[in-house]
Amino acid sequence: MPLGADRYATRGDTFVLLGCVALSLVAMSLPTRVRDPLASGLRRTVLWPLLQLQTQSEQLRTTRARYSRMTVERDSFAIAAAVLGELRAENARLRGLLGLGPRLGIGFVPAEVLHQATATDALTLVISAGSRQGVKVLAPVVAPEGLLGYVSRVEATTSVVATWVNPEFRASGMAADGSVYGIVGPHATSRPGVWLLELRGVPYRQDVTFGTVILTSGLGGVLPRGVPVGTVIAVARESGWERTYLVRPAVAPGSASHVMVLLENHPVDLRSAFAPDSGNPP
Amino acid sequence: MRAGQLVRAWAAPVVLVVLQFTVRNRLGANRIAPDFLLLALLVYTTRARPGAGAAAGFLVGVLRDALTPASFGAGALAHTLVGYLSSRAKTVFFAENLLVNGGLFFTATWVRNLIVALASGKLVGPQLVWELLIWSPLEALTTAVAGVLILALFRQWLSIRLGAR
Repeated sequence: MPLGADRYATRGDTFVLLGCVALSLVAMSLPTRVRDPLASGLRRTVLWPLLQLQTQSEQLRTTRARYSRMTVERDSFAIAAAVLGELRAENARLRGLLGLGPRLGIGFVPAEVLHQATATDALTLVISAGSRQGVKVLAPVVAPEGLLGYVSRVEATTSVVATWVNPEFRASGMAADGSVYGIVGPHATSRPGVWLLELRGVPYRQDVTFGTVILTSGLGGVLPRGVPVGTVIAVARESGWERTYLVRPAVAPGSASHVMVLLENHPVDLRSAFAPDSGNPP
Repeated sequence: MRAGQLVRAWAAPVVLVVLQFTVRNRLGANRIAPDFLLLALLVYTTRARPGAGAAAGFLVGVLRDALTPASFGAGALAHTLVGYLSSRAKTVFFAENLLVNGGLFFTATWVRNLIVALASGKLVGPQLVWELLIWSPLEALTTAVAGVLILALFRQWLSIRLGAR
Protein backbone atom coordinates (compact mmCIF):
# COMPACT_ATOMS: atom_id res chain seq x y z
CA MET A 1 0.00 0.00 0.00
CA PRO A 2 2.02 2.95 -1.27
CA LEU A 3 0.57 5.45 1.16
CA GLY A 4 2.27 8.80 1.30
CA ALA A 5 4.13 8.23 -1.93
CA ASP A 6 4.16 10.70 -4.79
CA ARG A 7 0.55 11.11 -5.84
CA TYR A 8 1.12 12.77 -9.18
CA ALA A 9 -0.05 10.45 -11.91
CA THR A 10 2.66 8.77 -13.93
CA ARG A 11 2.33 6.95 -17.20
CA GLY A 12 1.95 3.71 -15.23
CA ASP A 13 -1.00 5.16 -13.33
CA THR A 14 -2.64 6.14 -16.59
CA PHE A 15 -2.14 2.63 -17.97
CA VAL A 16 -3.74 1.13 -14.85
CA LEU A 17 -6.69 3.52 -15.22
CA LEU A 18 -7.17 2.69 -18.88
CA GLY A 19 -6.89 -1.03 -18.14
CA CYS A 20 -9.51 -0.85 -15.41
CA VAL A 21 -11.85 1.24 -17.58
CA ALA A 22 -11.43 -1.25 -20.42
CA LEU A 23 -12.20 -4.17 -18.09
CA SER A 24 -15.26 -2.33 -16.79
CA LEU A 25 -16.53 -1.81 -20.32
CA VAL A 26 -15.94 -5.49 -21.06
CA ALA A 27 -17.89 -6.39 -17.90
CA MET A 28 -20.79 -4.18 -19.02
CA SER A 29 -20.95 -5.87 -22.39
CA LEU A 30 -20.81 -9.43 -21.05
CA PRO A 31 -23.80 -11.57 -21.99
CA THR A 32 -26.00 -12.77 -19.17
CA ARG A 33 -24.78 -16.36 -19.46
CA VAL A 34 -21.22 -15.18 -18.64
CA ARG A 35 -22.06 -12.34 -16.30
CA ASP A 36 -24.33 -14.24 -13.92
CA PRO A 37 -21.91 -17.10 -13.12
CA LEU A 38 -19.16 -14.52 -12.60
CA ALA A 39 -21.28 -12.51 -10.17
CA SER A 40 -22.43 -15.71 -8.51
CA GLY A 41 -18.82 -16.86 -8.06
CA LEU A 42 -17.91 -13.60 -6.36
CA ARG A 43 -20.90 -13.85 -4.04
CA ARG A 44 -19.97 -17.42 -3.11
CA THR A 45 -16.29 -16.65 -2.43
CA VAL A 46 -15.00 -13.15 -1.73
CA LEU A 47 -18.34 -11.68 -0.70
CA TRP A 48 -19.59 -14.70 1.23
CA PRO A 49 -18.25 -13.57 4.66
CA LEU A 50 -19.62 -10.08 4.14
CA LEU A 51 -23.05 -11.37 3.09
CA GLN A 52 -23.08 -13.64 6.13
CA LEU A 53 -22.24 -10.61 8.24
CA GLN A 54 -25.12 -8.69 6.71
CA THR A 55 -27.46 -11.65 7.13
CA GLN A 56 -26.52 -12.00 10.81
CA SER A 57 -27.04 -8.28 11.29
CA GLU A 58 -30.49 -8.44 9.68
CA GLN A 59 -31.41 -11.46 11.80
CA LEU A 60 -30.21 -9.70 14.94
CA ARG A 61 -32.38 -6.73 14.09
CA THR A 62 -35.32 -9.04 13.48
CA THR A 63 -34.64 -10.88 16.70
CA ARG A 64 -34.75 -7.65 18.66
CA ALA A 65 -37.99 -6.67 16.99
CA ARG A 66 -39.42 -10.11 17.76
CA TYR A 67 -38.31 -9.77 21.37
CA SER A 68 -40.20 -6.49 21.64
CA ARG A 69 -43.24 -8.06 20.01
CA MET A 70 -43.09 -11.06 22.31
CA THR A 71 -42.91 -8.76 25.31
CA VAL A 72 -46.06 -7.06 24.07
CA GLU A 73 -47.66 -10.44 23.44
CA ARG A 74 -46.71 -11.67 26.90
CA ASP A 75 -48.27 -8.59 28.47
CA SER A 76 -51.35 -9.12 26.34
CA PHE A 77 -51.58 -12.73 27.47
CA ALA A 78 -51.20 -11.69 31.08
CA ILE A 79 -54.16 -9.39 30.70
CA ALA A 80 -56.13 -11.98 28.75
CA ALA A 81 -55.38 -14.63 31.37
CA ALA A 82 -57.35 -12.62 33.85
CA VAL A 83 -60.46 -13.61 31.91
CA LEU A 84 -59.90 -17.24 30.86
CA GLY A 85 -62.81 -17.28 28.43
CA GLU A 86 -61.17 -14.62 26.31
CA LEU A 87 -57.83 -16.37 26.18
CA ARG A 88 -58.70 -18.53 23.18
CA ALA A 89 -59.86 -15.56 21.11
CA GLU A 90 -56.78 -13.58 22.06
CA ASN A 91 -54.58 -16.51 21.15
CA ALA A 92 -56.23 -16.78 17.74
CA ARG A 93 -55.78 -13.08 17.12
CA LEU A 94 -52.07 -13.23 18.01
CA ARG A 95 -51.60 -16.23 15.75
CA GLY A 96 -53.25 -14.29 13.00
CA LEU A 97 -50.79 -11.48 13.51
CA LEU A 98 -47.84 -13.79 13.17
CA GLY A 99 -47.89 -13.21 9.47
CA LEU A 100 -48.75 -14.39 6.09
CA GLY A 101 -46.91 -17.71 6.23
CA PRO A 102 -49.53 -19.97 7.82
CA ARG A 103 -52.21 -18.56 5.51
CA LEU A 104 -50.33 -19.39 2.36
CA GLY A 105 -50.95 -23.09 2.81
CA ILE A 106 -47.95 -23.98 0.64
CA GLY A 107 -44.25 -24.30 1.36
CA PHE A 108 -42.25 -21.13 1.72
CA VAL A 109 -38.89 -19.90 2.99
CA PRO A 110 -38.57 -16.61 4.87
CA ALA A 111 -35.60 -14.46 3.90
CA GLU A 112 -34.04 -11.11 4.69
CA VAL A 113 -33.43 -8.62 1.89
CA LEU A 114 -29.77 -7.57 1.76
CA HIS A 115 -30.05 -4.07 0.31
CA GLN A 116 -27.08 -2.43 -1.42
CA ALA A 117 -26.23 1.25 -1.72
CA THR A 118 -26.66 1.71 -5.45
CA ALA A 119 -29.18 3.47 -7.61
CA THR A 120 -30.21 0.21 -9.25
CA ASP A 121 -30.69 -1.67 -5.97
CA ALA A 122 -34.45 -1.98 -6.45
CA LEU A 123 -34.11 -3.82 -9.78
CA THR A 124 -32.39 -6.90 -8.40
CA LEU A 125 -32.25 -7.76 -4.72
CA VAL A 126 -30.03 -10.25 -2.93
CA ILE A 127 -31.90 -12.26 -0.28
CA SER A 128 -30.57 -14.48 2.49
CA ALA A 129 -31.98 -17.81 1.34
CA GLY A 130 -30.61 -20.14 -1.28
CA SER A 131 -30.58 -23.68 -2.56
CA ARG A 132 -29.84 -25.07 0.91
CA GLN A 133 -33.22 -23.76 2.00
CA GLY A 134 -34.88 -25.19 -1.08
CA VAL A 135 -35.07 -22.04 -3.18
CA LYS A 136 -35.21 -22.62 -6.94
CA VAL A 137 -34.93 -20.41 -9.99
CA LEU A 138 -38.23 -18.72 -10.95
CA ALA A 139 -39.64 -19.24 -7.47
CA PRO A 140 -42.14 -16.42 -6.70
CA VAL A 141 -41.07 -13.95 -4.02
CA VAL A 142 -43.81 -12.25 -2.02
CA ALA A 143 -44.10 -9.77 0.82
CA PRO A 144 -47.13 -9.60 3.14
CA GLU A 145 -48.57 -6.91 0.84
CA GLY A 146 -48.15 -8.81 -2.42
CA LEU A 147 -45.80 -9.75 -5.22
CA LEU A 148 -42.18 -8.57 -5.16
CA GLY A 149 -40.72 -10.59 -8.06
CA TYR A 150 -39.19 -13.96 -8.78
CA VAL A 151 -35.86 -15.65 -8.14
CA SER A 152 -33.52 -15.19 -11.07
CA ARG A 153 -30.44 -16.93 -9.67
CA VAL A 154 -29.78 -19.25 -6.75
CA GLU A 155 -26.63 -19.89 -4.73
CA ALA A 156 -26.12 -22.03 -1.65
CA THR A 157 -27.15 -19.45 0.94
CA THR A 158 -28.28 -16.46 -1.11
CA SER A 159 -30.44 -15.78 -4.14
CA VAL A 160 -30.97 -12.93 -6.57
CA VAL A 161 -34.51 -11.66 -7.00
CA ALA A 162 -35.60 -9.88 -10.16
CA THR A 163 -38.20 -7.46 -8.84
CA TRP A 164 -41.14 -6.05 -10.77
CA VAL A 165 -39.09 -2.86 -11.26
CA ASN A 166 -36.76 -4.79 -13.56
CA PRO A 167 -37.42 -3.87 -17.22
CA GLU A 168 -37.58 -7.58 -18.12
CA PHE A 169 -40.30 -8.34 -15.56
CA ARG A 170 -43.66 -9.52 -16.93
CA ALA A 171 -46.60 -11.23 -15.23
CA SER A 172 -50.04 -12.25 -16.29
CA GLY A 173 -52.48 -10.18 -14.25
CA MET A 174 -56.21 -10.02 -13.73
CA ALA A 175 -58.76 -7.93 -11.93
CA ALA A 176 -59.64 -9.27 -8.50
CA ASP A 177 -63.04 -10.49 -9.75
CA GLY A 178 -61.44 -12.22 -12.75
CA SER A 179 -63.31 -10.06 -15.28
CA VAL A 180 -60.26 -8.57 -17.00
CA TYR A 181 -56.90 -10.04 -17.92
CA GLY A 182 -53.70 -8.35 -19.11
CA ILE A 183 -49.94 -8.33 -18.95
CA VAL A 184 -48.35 -6.53 -16.01
CA GLY A 185 -44.96 -4.89 -16.50
CA PRO A 186 -42.98 -1.92 -15.14
CA HIS A 187 -44.06 1.52 -16.31
CA ALA A 188 -41.04 3.23 -17.85
CA THR A 189 -41.93 6.88 -17.58
CA SER A 190 -43.71 7.40 -14.32
CA ARG A 191 -43.65 10.54 -12.24
CA PRO A 192 -40.27 11.40 -10.69
CA GLY A 193 -39.36 9.08 -7.84
CA VAL A 194 -42.38 6.83 -8.27
CA TRP A 195 -42.02 3.31 -9.61
CA LEU A 196 -45.28 2.22 -11.17
CA LEU A 197 -46.59 -0.80 -13.01
CA GLU A 198 -48.87 -0.93 -16.00
CA LEU A 199 -51.53 -3.41 -17.07
CA ARG A 200 -51.29 -3.83 -20.83
CA GLY A 201 -53.41 -5.50 -23.45
CA VAL A 202 -56.80 -4.84 -21.87
CA PRO A 203 -59.44 -4.90 -24.64
CA TYR A 204 -60.85 -1.45 -25.36
CA ARG A 205 -64.43 -2.55 -24.66
CA GLN A 206 -63.53 -3.75 -21.16
CA ASP A 207 -63.44 -0.91 -18.66
CA VAL A 208 -61.42 -1.22 -15.46
CA THR A 209 -62.53 1.14 -12.71
CA PHE A 210 -59.88 2.98 -10.72
CA GLY A 211 -59.20 1.26 -7.42
CA THR A 212 -59.52 -2.22 -8.89
CA VAL A 213 -57.01 -4.58 -7.30
CA ILE A 214 -54.87 -6.46 -9.80
CA LEU A 215 -53.80 -10.00 -8.92
CA THR A 216 -51.60 -12.53 -10.64
CA SER A 217 -53.72 -14.76 -12.86
CA GLY A 218 -51.61 -17.89 -12.56
CA LEU A 219 -51.40 -18.21 -16.34
CA GLY A 220 -47.96 -19.26 -17.52
CA GLY A 221 -47.28 -21.50 -14.56
CA VAL A 222 -44.55 -19.40 -12.93
CA LEU A 223 -46.53 -17.27 -10.51
CA PRO A 224 -49.42 -18.67 -8.48
CA ARG A 225 -52.90 -17.22 -8.90
CA GLY A 226 -54.19 -14.56 -6.56
CA VAL A 227 -51.09 -12.68 -5.38
CA PRO A 228 -51.77 -8.91 -5.24
CA VAL A 229 -49.74 -6.91 -7.73
CA GLY A 230 -51.21 -3.45 -7.25
CA THR A 231 -54.19 -1.15 -7.68
CA VAL A 232 -55.36 0.55 -10.87
CA ILE A 233 -55.03 4.33 -10.54
CA ALA A 234 -55.27 5.77 -14.06
CA VAL A 235 -55.35 5.13 -17.78
CA ALA A 236 -51.82 5.31 -19.16
CA ARG A 237 -52.68 5.27 -22.87
CA GLU A 238 -55.09 3.98 -25.45
CA SER A 239 -54.00 2.60 -28.78
CA GLY A 240 -56.01 0.66 -31.32
CA TRP A 241 -58.03 -2.07 -29.72
CA GLU A 242 -56.29 -2.04 -26.36
CA ARG A 243 -56.01 0.15 -23.34
CA THR A 244 -53.11 0.33 -20.85
CA TYR A 245 -53.72 1.14 -17.20
CA LEU A 246 -51.34 2.53 -14.59
CA VAL A 247 -51.09 0.35 -11.50
CA ARG A 248 -49.84 1.45 -8.10
CA PRO A 249 -47.69 -1.49 -6.89
CA ALA A 250 -48.55 -3.39 -3.75
CA VAL A 251 -44.91 -3.76 -2.70
CA ALA A 252 -42.07 -1.22 -2.80
CA PRO A 253 -38.84 -3.17 -3.47
CA GLY A 254 -36.66 -0.42 -2.05
CA SER A 255 -38.20 -0.70 1.39
CA ALA A 256 -38.87 -4.44 1.53
CA SER A 257 -36.89 -5.94 4.38
CA HIS A 258 -38.35 -9.43 4.80
CA VAL A 259 -39.86 -11.62 2.09
CA MET A 260 -41.12 -15.14 1.52
CA VAL A 261 -39.95 -17.37 -1.29
CA LEU A 262 -42.68 -19.77 -2.37
CA LEU A 263 -41.29 -23.25 -2.81
CA GLU A 264 -44.12 -24.82 -4.77
CA ASN A 265 -45.42 -23.25 -7.93
CA HIS A 266 -48.09 -25.80 -8.75
CA PRO A 267 -51.49 -24.31 -9.57
CA VAL A 268 -52.81 -22.80 -6.38
CA ASP A 269 -55.07 -19.84 -5.59
CA LEU A 270 -53.68 -17.54 -2.91
CA ARG A 271 -56.45 -14.95 -2.96
CA SER A 272 -57.64 -15.85 0.53
CA ALA A 273 -54.12 -15.59 1.96
CA PHE A 274 -53.79 -11.99 0.83
CA ALA A 275 -57.37 -10.91 1.55
CA PRO A 276 -57.40 -7.60 3.49
CA ASP A 277 -59.10 -9.09 6.55
CA SER A 278 -57.32 -12.45 6.53
CA GLY A 279 -54.73 -11.24 9.03
CA ASN A 280 -57.32 -10.20 11.58
CA PRO A 281 -59.48 -13.11 12.55
CA PRO A 282 -62.40 -12.27 14.79
CA MET B 1 6.25 -0.54 6.77
CA ARG B 2 6.02 -1.69 10.36
CA ALA B 3 3.13 -3.81 11.59
CA GLY B 4 1.78 -1.00 13.77
CA GLN B 5 1.73 1.39 10.85
CA LEU B 6 0.02 -1.19 8.68
CA VAL B 7 -2.70 -1.72 11.26
CA ARG B 8 -3.26 2.01 11.59
CA ALA B 9 -3.42 2.47 7.83
CA TRP B 10 -6.05 -0.24 7.35
CA ALA B 11 -8.06 0.25 10.55
CA ALA B 12 -10.44 2.88 9.15
CA PRO B 13 -11.18 1.10 5.83
CA VAL B 14 -11.79 -2.22 7.61
CA VAL B 15 -14.08 -0.57 10.15
CA LEU B 16 -15.99 1.10 7.32
CA VAL B 17 -16.45 -2.17 5.42
CA VAL B 18 -17.81 -3.82 8.57
CA LEU B 19 -20.13 -0.85 9.14
CA GLN B 20 -21.44 -1.22 5.57
CA PHE B 21 -22.62 -4.78 6.15
CA THR B 22 -23.77 -4.46 9.77
CA VAL B 23 -24.86 -0.95 10.68
CA ARG B 24 -26.02 0.55 7.41
CA ASN B 25 -29.19 -1.52 7.20
CA ARG B 26 -30.22 -0.22 10.62
CA LEU B 27 -29.97 3.44 9.70
CA GLY B 28 -33.36 3.60 8.06
CA ALA B 29 -33.94 4.64 4.46
CA ASN B 30 -31.69 2.52 2.29
CA ARG B 31 -31.44 5.06 -0.54
CA ILE B 32 -30.06 7.86 1.62
CA ALA B 33 -28.06 5.99 4.25
CA PRO B 34 -24.30 6.68 4.10
CA ASP B 35 -22.28 4.46 1.78
CA PHE B 36 -19.52 3.21 4.07
CA LEU B 37 -17.99 1.03 1.34
CA LEU B 38 -17.40 4.04 -0.87
CA LEU B 39 -15.98 5.88 2.13
CA ALA B 40 -13.54 3.01 2.73
CA LEU B 41 -12.43 3.31 -0.89
CA LEU B 42 -12.03 7.08 -0.65
CA VAL B 43 -10.10 6.89 2.63
CA TYR B 44 -7.67 4.62 0.81
CA THR B 45 -7.52 6.38 -2.55
CA THR B 46 -6.96 9.84 -1.13
CA ARG B 47 -3.75 8.51 0.38
CA ALA B 48 -2.63 6.31 -2.48
CA ARG B 49 -1.23 6.76 -5.97
CA PRO B 50 -3.80 7.36 -8.75
CA GLY B 51 -3.08 3.99 -10.35
CA ALA B 52 -3.60 2.17 -7.07
CA GLY B 53 -6.75 4.24 -6.53
CA ALA B 54 -8.13 3.19 -9.91
CA ALA B 55 -7.31 -0.48 -9.29
CA ALA B 56 -8.88 -0.39 -5.82
CA GLY B 57 -11.93 1.34 -7.26
CA PHE B 58 -12.25 -1.32 -9.95
CA LEU B 59 -12.10 -4.13 -7.37
CA VAL B 60 -14.67 -2.49 -5.11
CA GLY B 61 -16.87 -1.80 -8.12
CA VAL B 62 -16.76 -5.37 -9.39
CA LEU B 63 -17.61 -6.75 -5.95
CA ARG B 64 -20.46 -4.29 -5.64
CA ASP B 65 -21.71 -5.22 -9.10
CA ALA B 66 -21.88 -8.83 -7.98
CA LEU B 67 -24.42 -7.72 -5.38
CA THR B 68 -26.49 -5.68 -7.84
CA PRO B 69 -26.28 -7.63 -11.10
CA ALA B 70 -28.75 -5.29 -12.81
CA SER B 71 -25.94 -2.82 -13.39
CA PHE B 72 -23.01 -5.21 -13.78
CA GLY B 73 -19.91 -3.35 -15.00
CA ALA B 74 -21.37 0.10 -14.41
CA GLY B 75 -20.31 0.05 -10.77
CA ALA B 76 -16.80 -1.05 -11.72
CA LEU B 77 -16.50 1.80 -14.21
CA ALA B 78 -17.88 4.34 -11.74
CA HIS B 79 -15.68 3.27 -8.84
CA THR B 80 -12.60 3.11 -11.07
CA LEU B 81 -13.08 6.70 -12.20
CA VAL B 82 -13.97 7.91 -8.71
CA GLY B 83 -10.95 6.10 -7.23
CA TYR B 84 -8.59 7.60 -9.77
CA LEU B 85 -10.02 11.11 -9.65
CA SER B 86 -10.17 11.24 -5.85
CA SER B 87 -6.52 10.25 -5.74
CA ARG B 88 -5.66 12.97 -8.24
CA ALA B 89 -7.80 15.47 -6.34
CA LYS B 90 -5.51 15.23 -3.36
CA THR B 91 -2.72 16.75 -5.41
CA VAL B 92 -4.89 19.83 -5.88
CA PHE B 93 -6.62 20.23 -2.52
CA PHE B 94 -5.30 20.57 0.99
CA ALA B 95 -5.42 16.98 2.13
CA GLU B 96 -5.92 17.23 5.86
CA ASN B 97 -8.78 19.75 5.92
CA LEU B 98 -11.96 18.09 7.19
CA LEU B 99 -14.34 20.30 5.22
CA VAL B 100 -12.44 19.74 2.00
CA ASN B 101 -12.58 16.01 2.66
CA GLY B 102 -16.30 16.29 3.32
CA GLY B 103 -16.76 18.06 -0.01
CA LEU B 104 -14.71 15.38 -1.70
CA PHE B 105 -16.87 12.63 -0.18
CA PHE B 106 -20.03 14.43 -1.27
CA THR B 107 -18.83 14.96 -4.83
CA ALA B 108 -17.45 11.43 -5.17
CA THR B 109 -20.73 9.86 -4.03
CA TRP B 110 -22.81 11.96 -6.39
CA VAL B 111 -20.46 11.40 -9.34
CA ARG B 112 -20.41 7.64 -8.62
CA ASN B 113 -24.22 7.54 -8.68
CA LEU B 114 -24.28 9.66 -11.85
CA ILE B 115 -21.96 7.28 -13.69
CA VAL B 116 -23.81 4.17 -12.47
CA ALA B 117 -27.17 5.63 -13.48
CA LEU B 118 -25.96 6.66 -16.94
CA ALA B 119 -23.77 3.65 -17.68
CA SER B 120 -26.32 1.07 -16.56
CA GLY B 121 -29.01 2.66 -18.74
CA LYS B 122 -31.67 1.37 -16.36
CA LEU B 123 -32.86 4.77 -15.19
CA VAL B 124 -34.48 7.03 -17.75
CA GLY B 125 -36.39 10.29 -17.90
CA PRO B 126 -37.88 11.55 -14.68
CA GLN B 127 -36.49 8.57 -12.77
CA LEU B 128 -32.97 9.67 -13.68
CA VAL B 129 -33.67 13.29 -12.76
CA TRP B 130 -35.18 12.24 -9.44
CA GLU B 131 -32.23 9.99 -8.73
CA LEU B 132 -29.62 12.63 -9.50
CA LEU B 133 -31.31 15.64 -7.94
CA ILE B 134 -32.90 14.14 -4.85
CA TRP B 135 -31.70 10.69 -3.80
CA SER B 136 -28.05 11.03 -4.79
CA PRO B 137 -27.49 14.41 -3.09
CA LEU B 138 -29.13 13.10 0.08
CA GLU B 139 -26.99 9.97 0.06
CA ALA B 140 -23.93 12.08 -0.72
CA LEU B 141 -24.73 14.36 2.20
CA THR B 142 -25.07 11.55 4.73
CA THR B 143 -21.95 9.88 3.33
CA ALA B 144 -19.99 13.13 3.64
CA VAL B 145 -21.13 13.62 7.24
CA ALA B 146 -20.21 10.04 8.13
CA GLY B 147 -16.86 10.46 6.37
CA VAL B 148 -16.02 13.61 8.28
CA LEU B 149 -16.88 11.87 11.56
CA ILE B 150 -14.69 8.88 10.64
CA LEU B 151 -11.81 11.15 9.67
CA ALA B 152 -12.16 13.08 12.91
CA LEU B 153 -12.17 9.80 14.82
CA PHE B 154 -9.15 8.35 13.02
CA ARG B 155 -7.41 11.66 12.42
CA GLN B 156 -4.25 10.75 14.27
CA TRP B 157 -3.83 7.51 12.40
CA LEU B 158 -4.83 8.68 8.93
CA SER B 159 -2.68 11.81 8.87
CA ILE B 160 0.48 9.80 9.35
CA ARG B 161 2.62 9.86 6.23
CA LEU B 162 3.14 6.15 5.94
CA GLY B 163 5.81 5.11 3.53
CA ALA B 164 7.45 8.54 3.47
CA ARG B 165 11.21 8.41 3.39
